[in-house]
Parts: sequence; C-alpha cells; structure tokens
Amino acid sequence: MYWLKIPFRFLRSEVLALPTRVIAVLFVAVLLLFPFMTQDTYLLRVVVLTAIFTIYAVSWDVLSGYAGQISLGHALFFGVGAYTTALLNLRLGLPQHAAIPLGALAATAAGILVAIPCLRLRKHHLALATLAFPLMLTGLVFMFPGLTGGELGITRIARLATSRLVEYYAVVGVMLAAVGVLWKLMSSRIGLIFHALREDEVVVRALGINAVRYKLLAFVLSGFTAGIAGALYAHVIRVAGPSNLDLFMSFQPVIWTIFGGAATIYGPVTGVFVLYPALEYLRAIPAYRMLVFALLVLVILRFMPEGIGTWVRERLEVNCPHCRLRNAFTRRTCRACRTELAS
Amino acid sequence: MRTLVCFLALVLTAFGGVAASDVIRIGVVGPMTAMQGQHHWHGAVMAAEEINQAGGIVAGERSYTIELIQVDSNEMVSVTDAVSAVERVVGRVHFLVGGFRTEAVMAMTEVAVEHGVPFLIAGAAADALLAGRVDADYDEYKYLFRVAPVRSSDLAKLSILLLIDVVQRFREDLGIAVPRVAVVAERLEWADPLVRQVEQLIAAPPPQGLGAEWVGTWRPSARAESVSSELTAVERADAHIIYTALSGPVGVPFGRDWGRLEVPAAAVGINVEAQSDKWLDATGGFGAYAATADIYAREVAVTERAIPFVEGFIDRVGELPLYTAATYDGLYILKAAVERAGTLAVDAVVGALEETDHVGTIGRMVFDEKHDLIWGPQYVTGLGVQWLDGEALAFWPKNWRPDPVNLPDFEFGYPGAVPYQIPPWVLEHWAPEND
Repeated sequence: MYWLKIPFRFLRSEVLALPTRVIAVLFVAVLLLFPFMTQDTYLLRVVVLTAIFTIYAVSWDVLSGYAGQISLGHALFFGVGAYTTALLNLRLGLPQHAAIPLGALAATAAGILVAIPCLRLRKHHLALATLAFPLMLTGLVFMFPGLTGGELGITRIARLATSRLVEYYAVVGVMLAAVGVLWKLMSSRIGLIFHALREDEVVVRALGINAVRYKLLAFVLSGFTAGIAGALYAHVIRVAGPSNLDLFMSFQPVIWTIFGGAATIYGPVTGVFVLYPALEYLRAIPAYRMLVFALLVLVILRFMPEGIGTWVRERLEVNCPHCRLRNAFTRRTCRACRTELAS
Repeated sequence: MRTLVCFLALVLTAFGGVAASDVIRIGVVGPMTAMQGQHHWHGAVMAAEEINQAGGIVAGERSYTIELIQVDSNEMVSVTDAVSAVERVVGRVHFLVGGFRTEAVMAMTEVAVEHGVPFLIAGAAADALLAGRVDADYDEYKYLFRVAPVRSSDLAKLSILLLIDVVQRFREDLGIAVPRVAVVAERLEWADPLVRQVEQLIAAPPPQGLGAEWVGTWRPSARAESVSSELTAVERADAHIIYTALSGPVGVPFGRDWGRLEVPAAAVGINVEAQSDKWLDATGGFGAYAATADIYAREVAVTERAIPFVEGFIDRVGELPLYTAATYDGLYILKAAVERAGTLAVDAVVGALEETDHVGTIGRMVFDEKHDLIWGPQYVTGLGVQWLDGEALAFWPKNWRPDPVNLPDFEFGYPGAVPYQIPPWVLEHWAPEND
C-alpha cells in the first residue's frame, strides 16, 4: 500500500491539481487507446498524419516561437527529411528504422546550412531569407530529375510498417517522444535563453551568453525534428515529391502554431489536433471547405490572439501573484504558498 | 450531411427492365473545385446515367446500378489532402476513376493498391504512373489502369507528328523546302527528353526526320507570365514554325503574346492550356490559329461514340470536354469488365479489364502489359486541334500515312478532320519567300 501511495500522491499533486495537465493526460490516453475504439483505416490515417504534422509544427515553434527566428521556409527541413529517407530507402535499400534517423540528420545539416548565412539577419529579413531555401531546393530537385524523380517525385518507398496498427503506434510514439523531449528542453535553461533571444538579443549577449551558439542550436533542434516529420511522412504517403517543399507546406506550421499558441509546445499540438481533423471533417461540405476553414482560423485569431491553447489555459488556470505557481481556476488560495488568488 | 453522395440509381422498372437489387459504388476522384475535376465528375455522371438507364451492369445472375461517390481530392493544393480523400472512401467503393496531378495520383494509387481497389487513371499522363510499377511488381500494382490521356511518351510522338504535318503544309503552301523550326518548351523535367528528341528529328533527313532546320530552343518557366522576350528571339531567328511543349499556365501568356505580337511563325505541339474551351477568352482572342495535341474536338468522328459524347457533354456542361472527362469511357470499360468477369471479385475484374477491347470516345481502347492504352492507328491516337473560327477543330490525323515505307498506300484519318491552316499573318510574312 505504501508504494501505491507514492504515484497516487504524485497524480493528485502534479496532475489532478491542474486542469490542463488532466487534459494532457486524457489526450495521451485517448491517443493510445484510439485503435481499440476504431479500426477504420481512414480515421487511423488521419491521426497518423495529424501526429506527423504535430512534430512538424512543434519544430517550427522551437525555432520561431521560442527562439524568434522566423522561418517561412520550414518545408526545407521537412522536404530534406523526406527526400533523404526516400533516397536511402530506395537507392541504398536501407530499412525504414535506419533511413528515418538519417533523413532527420540530413535535415539537421540543412538547418546548419540555413543558419550560417542567416545568423546576422533578423525579423522580416530572416523570414524572407528562409523563404528562399525551399525554392532553391525545388530548383535542385528539377535540375537532377534522375536522382530526385523531378516533378513526379520518388515513389515506391517502403511502407513505414506492415500494418496500419503498427504504423499508428510508431508515429504516435515518435510524436509523443518528440513533444515530450522538446517540452522538457524548452522548460529548461535552453528554453529560457531562447525566450530571451526572441525578446532582446542584445541583453542576451550583454549577459555573456553566446547568442550565435543558441541560435544555431535552435536551427539544429528544429531541423532535426522537422526532418523526422518529413521522413515519417515519406514512408506513410510513399511519395517524396516537390509538394513537400512548396509554400503551402511552409505556411502550414505557421498557421497551426499561431492558432494553437506560439512558444508553448502545447500550442502547436493543440493547433494541429484541432485544425487538421477539422479540415478533414469539413469534407462533408466540399464547396465551402476551405472558406469555413479560413473563417474558423480568422475568428479564433480575432478573439483569441494568443492562440486557442493559451486562451483555454488562461481560463482554466491562474498564476499565483506571490509565487507564480499555476493553480486551477476553482482554487481560492495558492496550492503552494496559500496566497489568496484573484477571483 | 456526412458525405456527399450522388445517388444515380435510375430505377429500371420504369423501363420494364431488371429490378435493380445491388449497387456498384465508384469513386470519382479529382480536384472538384477545378475544371479538371468537374470534367471528371460530369463524364462519369453521363456514363452512369446512360448505363443505369440501359439496365445497369449485369454480372452473372445479378444486376447492379452504378452509384457514384464524388471524391474531392484538392490535389492541386495538397497531396496529403488527396491521399486522405481516397483513404476516406476506399473502403466503401468497388472502383476508383480519375486523378489529375501526377504526384498526387502516385500517392493516391498507393492507397488504392494497398486496399486492392482497381483505379482507372483518367487525367495524368506520366509514363511512370504505370511503367516501373505494374510491370515491375504486378501483384501489388495490377489494380492500376490508365484510360486517358495517352501516356507522355505517346503524347510526344503525337506532337511530333503534328509538327511534321505543319512542316509539310509550309512546303506545300509556301514552297519553303527547309522550314526553320524553333522550340519553346517549359522548364520542366517531362519536357527534357521531348526537347532532345525534337531537336534531333528536326534536322534529320526524311523519312526518319523532318528535313527542316532547327534554329534554337527557348525554355521559359512553366509559370512565366510573359513570353514576349522568348518570342522576340524566335522572330529574330527567322523561324517559320514554333514547336511548343507547354503544360503549365505559361501556355496562356505564350498564346497571348504570340498572337498579339503577330510572331511570324506557326505554333504547334503541346499546349495544355489551348485544350480548354476558354482558350480564346484567356488569351484575349490572340490565341486563334494555335494548334495543340488533344483528345477531344468538335465534329470529328474518332469513333461512332465520339460526336454524341462531345455534343452531349457540351449540352450538359456548356464546354468542350477536357481529357479528364474520359471517366466516361472508364465507366463503360468497367461495365464491360464486370460483365465479362460475371462477378465483382477484384482479381476476376482485373483479369477482365486486361482483356478490354472497347471502342470508346477517344478510339479503340486496348491495354498493353503495363495497363496503359495502346497508341497508334486503329487504337487511340489522340488528335491535333487548331483554333479556327472560334472553335477547336481537329486537323490531325487526316490522310496520315503511319508507315510510308512498308505500307505506302495506307492512309489514316478521322471523318470531320479539317486541313491545318497557316495563320494569315504568318502566310503573309513568308509568302514571297521561295527556296
């Protein structure tokens, strides 16, 4: 009984104490139990793609949301991951579990390549510079069609798994791991420095922190994560083509992240898990699908400019004015210091 | 409304036919907010209505009516969307027809083969959609067939034959023995082998080549909004003919600039934009006399079914069918295959599809070992169409001699084809010249 008390106490004090943590635990539980609720391949595929795009959106949040290095060409990392894993799998016969990490490493290298010329650029100059990179890679794709498949792309890539169930758990598992790792990292000193970089780079340097190193780290982390997403995508869709590099692909993580709440990690997760299934659900009204979708995004951003995830969190939890600890909105006093909370 | 289902069951009892007890569900896949997808849909609806009215599909002891399910792939915008759209219906349909953007069709067909659902492609031309798939891994990809358009490599042959026809017209009408040919091809990979092939053929002596003179190749972007600099260079090169290989939006600025500048060179080849009924409006009227490879045209009897289909389509939709409307033939091919198989069992239907010998609206449709249409006289050839008097009229094949060496007397053409006309400003410009 004593050993049972420890997890129960942890659950009560660390999870049940905060509504957003309860939501997060329920979300993970539903995600893991989803295949027991339905075996519909379409629904499983929707969740798989949602999970892949979550990894992709979170990678943008790290670079642009946290570190403030606005990337409008994020499809570069996604595309490099997709093309590299496709080429390694098809040309060298590497299995998926080897090709995917190598695809992510190639995207990391792309991140460094982009970072080097962009380190001195800021704000819209940086955004425009990053926009150019996927366009350049698209040019290279068309320049070497023998290798890249040109506009057809690379096809007949091995399936991620032999069954949809295995594919589901593989992708969802990677997504949960990636989100968890980045959550921890962004909650650490690194995340704090990224925040500071975004707010005032001069102050960061004045504090003796090597800003260049941390910017580079943001590109590396973001590139690696987006590369994983791209590599998984290639094995799920079984095509790595120029559409992986197009503008639409670059803008999607921006929309998802801002919709959910930037610089939060949970924001892009919320954004993708609301918007992507919503877009699928709107297939019921094909003629108005994109219009309704655009209106939904506009309305949310008009009334919840910090993002839906942040908006919900602010409604469910309040910060203690004394110790800054978060508390459920139902509490009258802080759960740590007993300070009275504003109603 | 959870799904957009168009139920086309036209109850046969009204016609005294067999009571419809079952349905065959066919997913019509395409970008439904774009003209290409709408033509996929209208072509399929026309065929389904006709088949259901005529008694449906009779397989063995049972009869089936066709129920079409519209699958909006949104493939112009997102390949992911296209894949999800197919995944959404693949468990509910017996067959799929359609597809347009090659990369999206690649991905969508992967979903279809994973579920073992036959997919009749009607809209994407790349050879690689079938070559290297059906022939390399038959068991996995046997479910894929193409009903339109003809594959890219055959489209290239067709466009070269159109060029030969125009070269011949210059020789006959203007007495220019060695016409000068410029190549204007968009900067995309599909056009590369075609450009190389054409450049060699232009200068090669007949009968292998054209016996003409190649004056240069210009490669604008597929999304270029102006081609006037390239056309000015073509004019300076004294070209008589411009061979085009344009599949993207650049086709419209090409037609507009070519007519507006009155470039003294006839344009012929592939220009996908010129296949649209809105070509003249899109080019501000400057696209008259442009010529392109196509598969549908007004008033040309490719087969006995061609004119009724084209006229019926124009009555229904108000415009000439695009090649994506070949879903019409796709449904008839499926009907015949199911009836031959006598069952809906997928392997039996695939076997029956392989035995297809169907006289459709675009020719006699027979599949080769890669499940692609056999191209050539007596099969599917495609057409050469030219914009004359506000309409796209077929000028090729007309008195075509496919094998002048071995079969010098064999000529091939379709009733209704009209002679190619050199644009009047080109005729006027080159009239004094006699080699």
